[in-house]
Amino acid sequence: MCPHCQSLDYKAEQLSGRGALYSYALLHHPRNPAFDYPVLAALVDLDEGIRLVSNLVDVAPGDIRIGMRLEVAFEPTAGDGSVPVFRPARSAS
Amino acid sequence: MSGFGGRAAIVGVGATEFSRQAGRTELRLACEAIRDALRDAGLTAADVDGIVSYTVDPVEETELVRAVGFQEIGFSSRVPYGGGGSMGTLLHAAAAITSGAAEVVVAYRAIRARSGATRFGGAKTAASPTSGHSGTTAMQWCMPYGVLTPASWMALNATRYMHTYGVTSADIGRAVVQLRAYAETNPAAWGYQRPMTLEDHQASRWIAEPCIRLFDCCQETDGSVALVITSRERAADLPNRPAFIAAAAGAGLFEQEIASDHYSRDLAVMEGSVALGRRLFERSGFRRDELDAAMIYDAFSPILLMQLEALGFCGFGEAKDFVAAGSLAPGGALPTNTNGGLIGEGYIHGLNLVLEAVSQLRGTAVNQVPDAARVLVTASRTGAILTRD
Ligand SMILES: [Zn+2]
Repeated sequence: MCPHCQSLDYKAEQLSGRGALYSYALLHHPRNPAFDYPVLAALVDLDEGIRLVSNLVDVAPGDIRIGMRLEVAFEPTAGDGSVPVFRPARSAS
Repeated sequence: MSGFGGRAAIVGVGATEFSRQAGRTELRLACEAIRDALRDAGLTAADVDGIVSYTVDPVEETELVRAVGFQEIGFSSRVPYGGGGSMGTLLHAAAAITSGAAEVVVAYRAIRARSGATRFGGAKTAASPTSGHSGTTAMQWCMPYGVLTPASWMALNATRYMHTYGVTSADIGRAVVQLRAYAETNPAAWGYQRPMTLEDHQASRWIAEPCIRLFDCCQETDGSVALVITSRERAADLPNRPAFIAAAAGAGLFEQEIASDHYSRDLAVMEGSVALGRRLFERSGFRRDELDAAMIYDAFSPILLMQLEALGFCGFGEAKDFVAAGSLAPGGALPTNTNGGLIGEGYIHGLNLVLEAVSQLRGTAVNQVPDAARVLVTASRTGAILTRD
């Protein structure tokens, strides 16, 4: 339900895939065999105003900066699905 | 003022040993702690007509009734929010007693956080049904990304806090050092006779960089704590000095999640604790500087600093200075977690902090605050102010 108007209607929207890094953590321990460590965990604020938990890719841990511009990429996950992850934005946005 | 005004009181406490391998079930641990709490209170199982816990506890109420020998339970409830609900047991108990719904309430928590089927700090790889209350369905949005553990959920918020206010790992470590000093002299604590310096803290390995090192984490612990709560009138006839409930409150806000709590706009502020502090101090009529000690939920040390700010003991961003001044230590502005906290003593999911508050008010604490008369107990979104008189 929409918590603002209690509507039960919904529709899919195309998002820009662009946003900024709100927070992050390099996860070292404990380890789960499904992941490579450290896990680069991120909170991404999309430009549309939605916050996502995700991973950072194509960035060295030392280059991570809160507020950095990000763009979406997709990576395979368990099953046949893929999940959105984020890399430093390559084009001005 | 709309608090309980001391019309309900904790009159008995009981606990098992805190260990890493209890070697017995949660049901048995709960039974032992409740038996001891009733003896401490000078009451019997037949006196009890209310039982309260919080949602993650594995002990089924009906089994507990049959095991301990409660005769007729008229009131039972569970508080949501995981460990954040631990102090809500006092709210529920006091509400039941002052409304007449119950006369004698037992609050309990039994846990095998270390030796249980899954370690409490370990990875969760399946979303819990909401009814389990060990997390909400929002947790599923963390799992594809390897954000599987309590430390990882906490770290995403703590990094933002540190970034916003310029807090360093050493700033946080100074709080841990003060808690561990209390633990060092507490025979019940994991940290008993285990000194820890800031250098030790800074040399401990990263669990989640840049905010949570090994020594920033509470101890996964096996054990149980039980409390007996009744009315002021009945308390007057019982052997121990009561710990009166001056005020108790909860605050669960829109957009808050239980553990994977990443969706409030400003994660550098624990807004649930801001609301909780407002309710507690309004209801009790006390000022912040009238408290003699505080017991604040420290599953991971960054949230101790964040709660000090949210509860109003210092300004936002100022907890690092408040801590650096030695405020948490003996003689400080707010002696805090004087049992060593969940970090230094052990993690009975928060309820052992109430045990310590009661010891302080009885004057029997291992690290006694001189003449302690008013003590705060909080767990991020539930809490109470307890008084001696
Ligand atoms: Zn709407």
